[in-house]
Amino acid sequence: MENSHVRDAMHTPTETEGSAAAMGAKIQAQGTNVHYGDKHALKDVTLDIRAGEVTSFIGPSGCGKSTFLRCLNRMNDTIDGCRVSGTVMMDGEDIYDPKIDVVQLRARVGMVFQKPNPFPKSIYDNIAYGPRIHGLAANKDELDEMVVTSLEKAGLLAEVKDRMDSPGTGLSGGQQQRLCIARAIAINPEVILMDEPCSALDPIATAKIEELIDELRENYTIVIVTHSMQQAARVSQRTAFFHLGELIEVGDTEQIFTNPRHKLTQGYITGRFG
Amino acid sequence: MPFSFLLLVLAGLAVISYRFGTARARAVAPGRQSQLHSRPMYHGLYAAMWCGVPALLIATLWVAFQPLLVKGLVMGGLPDAYQALPEARLNLVWNDIRNLAIGDVVRAQPAPEIQAAADTFHRLYAIGNSALALLCLVLAIAGASFALRRVSLTLRARNQVEKVITVFLIASSMVAILTTVGIVLSLLFESLRFFTKVPPLEFLFGLHWSPQTALRADQVGSSGSFGAVPLFTGTLLISLIAMCVAVPVGLMSAIYMSEYAHRKFRAIAKPMLEILAGIPTVVYGFFAALTVAPFIRRFGEGMGLSVASESALAAGLVMGVMIIPFVSSISDDVINAVPQAMRDGAYALGATKSETIRNVIVPAALPGIVGGVLLAVSRAIGETMIVVMAAGLAANLTFNPLDAVTTVTVQIVTLLTGDQEFDSAKTLAAFALGLVLFCVTLALNVFALHVVRKYREQYE
Ligand SMILES: Nc1ncnc2c1ncn2[C@@H]1O[C@H](COP(=O)(O)OP(=O)(O)O)[C@@H](O)[C@H]1O
Ligand SMILES: [Mg+2]
Repeated sequence: MENSHVRDAMHTPTETEGSAAAMGAKIQAQGTNVHYGDKHALKDVTLDIRAGEVTSFIGPSGCGKSTFLRCLNRMNDTIDGCRVSGTVMMDGEDIYDPKIDVVQLRARVGMVFQKPNPFPKSIYDNIAYGPRIHGLAANKDELDEMVVTSLEKAGLLAEVKDRMDSPGTGLSGGQQQRLCIARAIAINPEVILMDEPCSALDPIATAKIEELIDELRENYTIVIVTHSMQQAARVSQRTAFFHLGELIEVGDTEQIFTNPRHKLTQGYITGRFG
Repeated sequence: MPFSFLLLVLAGLAVISYRFGTARARAVAPGRQSQLHSRPMYHGLYAAMWCGVPALLIATLWVAFQPLLVKGLVMGGLPDAYQALPEARLNLVWNDIRNLAIGDVVRAQPAPEIQAAADTFHRLYAIGNSALALLCLVLAIAGASFALRRVSLTLRARNQVEKVITVFLIASSMVAILTTVGIVLSLLFESLRFFTKVPPLEFLFGLHWSPQTALRADQVGSSGSFGAVPLFTGTLLISLIAMCVAVPVGLMSAIYMSEYAHRKFRAIAKPMLEILAGIPTVVYGFFAALTVAPFIRRFGEGMGLSVASESALAAGLVMGVMIIPFVSSISDDVINAVPQAMRDGAYALGATKSETIRNVIVPAALPGIVGGVLLAVSRAIGETMIVVMAAGLAANLTFNPLDAVTTVTVQIVTLLTGDQEFDSAKTLAAFALGLVLFCVTLALNVFALHVVRKYREQYE
């Protein structure tokens, strides 16, 4: 199932390393292309994602936001017939390098999905799963500690502390999504990717998640895909606009929403299409 | 006329009334068919039903009751000397009459009364058959003309036809249900008769099985003891061995097929695995008896063990192979039903493929897998052919897989094959065994289906 990565030898890591680190770029994608079989879903995307900031991806649906997001933790590897080319560097290291262990990469880059997907296990086991497979806790007490801190950070602790042993699937949609966020931060990643994390939630649950994202920004680099421009404006510092598989424009969120440079961006944020 | 010919004629009449019905419906509303309550086709079907159904019903009842009626009349016509005979003799006389009338066995010199009765028999049948034919034809034509006369714009032919179709569907499903009920009842009653001869406790908990009952008081070697425990343990032992083969192999092949195998490999390998389920069990049986059992014996003797030439191990192993497709195809289904989101969630946490399978997919699919395994167990318990051929007949109370054992199904086969009287404890024991088998597999199936269904609900 693992797909072959056609890597572009022209981008050598050493060229960009120094300058990027100076600008605080956590992830740098250069000339990233993705094909699903014959379909060219992502076209030559070059984009920096800065550390300690929330970057949002916006654009009409089917424009490749999720596809690009999945390039950042190599989740595209699990899709049959998907090919990624170009380079994606994280802390100056090419994550598509054959020497990189994808398991370790994903421990550093967590992900939250569009539909909450807790495992059919207890709340405790959902959170403890990551630390367990990565051997992060030396003993049961440490593991308990990790579970509690993660739930705390995800703002879920108060709601579930009396029912840690009940199944995670029994929570409400918003709670499930926060459980998934807690699950992701339990392994202490550097980056958290979120693919439309609020699209299955009601406004109140959405507001909670947005608040949470704002708090998490302190410790994590966050990339969020959203179809709501208000959400992008509320939670992110930088915004990237995609259209038909191409990155049209990227800049400070304020600039993108008040003074877009590209006609397509302007059309999209003023609601003329999409 | 013969009955089959009558049926043909009725069918022909029904077709004709269908034609007339549609034609008439069209004629009632020329050019404005939309005003008909039902489409002409339904009027046709309506007429055909009125033509065919009553006549068929009468014909069926007639055929069912005519013999009784004829018998009553013929026997009633016999001279008083015969009437006074005991029941059993009377039956013999009746047989004579019938044979004579049908011309099956020609006795040299039938008594004149018998000959006369046979003639009456013959005549009654002839009259009956023509009366039936006449009645049916009249009914068919009357029904059809009644229906045809009712054809009008407002006739709700469609509703009527649908109603009759529903009745047919209900009747069909009743056939299946009633058959099951009938089988269960016959098992139950025969078992009760058995339990009047052998106490249930002795049957269920007795440790000695030797069903040879004495026909004459002086016969030897016919202890006639019916303790079924050795059969239960034998069944259990063989099923256990079978499951030890089928569960790991089936489950792992299901995991490989659904998670690792390339789509092309899967397209070839899955049907091949399912072919295993299509091999007749008798073929498995001689494979077990002629290939596996001798191999095990040679192998065992090589290691200095004493192995019976028919062993539980041989039967169990081969049965296990037979059940693999059950386990693997159900497991494969439930594993595929685990949402992709579960896998994504685990992969995104940095779980490896095997960790994802072990910690997330298999636990999520477990209830379904358990259901599949239980279905396989009930299949193993009921399996007969392999055990008959490979496990032997000796009712040994043992858990040594190298010994010969026997199972419930095998004993049922041996109790009922050959010449038997049908009210000895020996043959009735087969029904009691059948009842036990039925209860166990039924309970397993109900439980398994319940588990599988509960699992299905979880993700929908
Ligand atoms: N697994 C897949 N197989 C084939 N095509 C896909 C797959 N996932 C996405 N695509 C295609 O790639 C394009 C981009 O999809 P996606 O990244 O999901 O868009 P977005 O998240 O912006 O709505 C779409 O045209 C979609 O049809
Ligand atoms: Mg998407």
